[in-house]
Amino acid sequence: MPQLALDGIRVLELTDGIAAPFCAKMLADYGAEVIRVESPRHTPRRYEHLNWAESAGLYLHLNLNKKSVTLDLELDRGRELLLDLALRSDVVIESMRPGAAEGLGIGYETLSAHRPDLVMTSVTPFGQTGPYRDWSFTELSVFAMSGAMNREGLPGRPPLRYGGEIAQYFTGVVASAATMGALVGVAMTGIGDWVDISIFESMSGHPNQIARRGAYAYLGENDKRVDPRTTSGSEQYAIGTFRCADGHFNFLPLGPRMWPYVAQLIGQPELTQDPRFLTPEDRIENRAELESIFQAWLDGHTRYEVFAAAQDAGLPSGPVLEPSEIMEDEHFIQRGYFQTIDHPDFGTLRYPGLPFTLSDAPKSESTPAPKRGQHNREVLTGLLGLSDEDISALSDRGIISDA
Amino acid sequence: MPDAAKSPARPLEGIRALELAEIWAGPFSGALLTDLGAEVIKVEAIQRVARNPARPNSDDPAAKPWNTNGDFNAVNRNKVGLTLDLTTPSGADAFKQLANVSDVVLSNYAFGVMDRFGLGYEDLRKVKPDIIVIFMPGYGNTGPYRRYRSMGLVLDAVSGHTRLRGYPDLDLSYNSLVHHPDAVAAGNAVFSICLSILRRARTGKGQFIDLAQSESFMTNLGEVFLEYELTGQSRSRRGNRHPAMSPHGVYPCAGEDQWVAIAVRTDEEWWEMCEAMRMPQLAHNPRFETLPARLRNQDELDDIVSRWSRQLGRYHVTELLQERGVPAGPVLDCGADTYDNPHLQDRDYFQVVDHPDAGTHLLSGQIWKMANRPEVRHGPAPGLGQHNRHILGDLVGISSDVLDQMERDQVIGTAPMPGADMGGVRRARAQGIVPPE
Repeated sequence: MPQLALDGIRVLELTDGIAAPFCAKMLADYGAEVIRVESPRHTPRRYEHLNWAESAGLYLHLNLNKKSVTLDLELDRGRELLLDLALRSDVVIESMRPGAAEGLGIGYETLSAHRPDLVMTSVTPFGQTGPYRDWSFTELSVFAMSGAMNREGLPGRPPLRYGGEIAQYFTGVVASAATMGALVGVAMTGIGDWVDISIFESMSGHPNQIARRGAYAYLGENDKRVDPRTTSGSEQYAIGTFRCADGHFNFLPLGPRMWPYVAQLIGQPELTQDPRFLTPEDRIENRAELESIFQAWLDGHTRYEVFAAAQDAGLPSGPVLEPSEIMEDEHFIQRGYFQTIDHPDFGTLRYPGLPFTLSDAPKSESTPAPKRGQHNREVLTGLLGLSDEDISALSDRGIISDA
Repeated sequence: MPDAAKSPARPLEGIRALELAEIWAGPFSGALLTDLGAEVIKVEAIQRVARNPARPNSDDPAAKPWNTNGDFNAVNRNKVGLTLDLTTPSGADAFKQLANVSDVVLSNYAFGVMDRFGLGYEDLRKVKPDIIVIFMPGYGNTGPYRRYRSMGLVLDAVSGHTRLRGYPDLDLSYNSLVHHPDAVAAGNAVFSICLSILRRARTGKGQFIDLAQSESFMTNLGEVFLEYELTGQSRSRRGNRHPAMSPHGVYPCAGEDQWVAIAVRTDEEWWEMCEAMRMPQLAHNPRFETLPARLRNQDELDDIVSRWSRQLGRYHVTELLQERGVPAGPVLDCGADTYDNPHLQDRDYFQVVDHPDAGTHLLSGQIWKMANRPEVRHGPAPGLGQHNRHILGDLVGISSDVLDQMERDQVIGTAPMPGADMGGVRRARAQGIVPPE
């Protein structure tokens, strides 16, 4: 059996929220040993403000393939063990308030003095420096600041957030990329790094935002919310989300050059000769008529019929799908994207899988999210060399506990 | 943070990547690779110029409007520019010679395009056995939809995000056209490339990375799928509201189209917010005292918050709430608001970039900060074919006579050919859907 991609890489994780756990999940999913440290003394703030299913879903998804160790970090012995674990790791991923890692004795200066080849990735809402470094955040508040919200929604209404926890996940993706980059740096130079990741900056540096910022910098053009059904501008017709017989689909004809395909798709190629629709300007001018002809055709077709017909016509389009439909879609089944995993408390469920696969490294067999402290004994004896008596003493003193 | 510049080398220094990519997913991957120190050569063609949407400063060809697109130049910062007509034998051959001295080939072209050029993974591997290749079409490189055309907006639907967006009281057809999957794919691509470089250092082997942009986005919606698995119900749209936080919304502020986002997670935060609003009695009003009560009376609550917020500036509201630990943030646009933001300025986020055709502008900087690496200073996006001679001459070793011939044959060039576009018109002509010119 060839080795997993990240075999031999050990990660210590001290995180909450979504961005930092997702960063660690990326490493875990590709074979790194990720040890998540949690508190034995009280229920960790695992998404406590969320409803049961959302909270459980996040826990199950974000902690896949990880190990859990409980340590009471308010006690000296707990912090000693934390430092021991950190110094035996290649990567430390943390999401505490700026300065808190120093307080626990695992600040980057301390760790790098012993282990100059260690990578520490700190994921916080606003980064390690700057006037907002101690600000509170949620998905909504940081998304608002990122520039993304200002363009989402309709003019005259409050701007909107996206669905899902997009800014936090995207930050996790960015953090994992930077962490992996820093690991390459270690391999090339022997020198580790402290990676400072901010959710605000990640989402502000998102390609949607930097592209718009580029246009602003060059032309002073500012971004606005537009009504996708009435906006007039270059290339804007028959684009966006449309109703059809059994739901909706997204349709992207990519501007004037695709017009003949649109006419072909709806079985009315003669429309390209129609004086109302001859030029791009005509089609914008008579957009409402054009879209109503288009809509009439859509009303007679299902999402998957439109999907197939649009592909035949060479037009990018895709059905608006529900989770159940996606998991049952033949394409994702054939690719083996979703994985079925059994968790002792939550049973057998289908999980989203890996964002990419590798030709020269096998997929790992996933293990379910650990219970708190599930790997106390394995990690503390196997990695730190503690004896059974040491473990019992730690347990008696409440420094560790199994959930 | 500790002192920078302990080490002169950035992580990917010495790594050369060839980017064949359009729009955002591939180009943004390349931009992030340059931030890590890689040399990224953007390979384009004068027959098909994807520097869209075209908003040139000038219609005058002497001004090279194709080099002055703000969107393109932002996402393609810091790269080196090459044009090659890969449909010709000499173009494909030059590419292979270039691949032979490169580490990574990165493409977000539709499935099969690189194979049609004779530049699929197996072809490239013959040239350079340890090459790392990533192809990232919307649906990946296998499966029944692999040939399907897709763009970010389409993948937003198929991945399950479209049905979570928009105002809950409006039909989905009012959803915005802005889409997110490309960005996720780009970040995942950079992770996968770095992982493969690390693995190559250990095993000496290359890699083919199969990334489906749809799947990469779904991994960022994990709990939405698991919620369905746990409850049998699909999550309904939330708009700006939240099932377990209240107040939770975007509220008007003084001025035109000025807004502030506020998200109250706990009762304690609600009490703090009442103090900030100078309405302490509200905290004890049974209609709003507990989360269930606030969720039941949200419309009324939002009215109260709006009446307060609209008298104040968006930063003022934010500061009043953040002083008390309540999450709040102003809605900022991508332009002036972002440039004016004191936090981003304090963190030295922006960079002055001098572009030979587009001029000098303050643009977006890198997303992450690495304490031990030298500060990244962004170079401009390349002009079309700007570095042809350097890359093909100095790097690959093609003689200037041969390069002159390639230029006459339009295999390379520095200006779009007449009628060059992203392919739609040419394809339509080839299929007889529109008449030839």
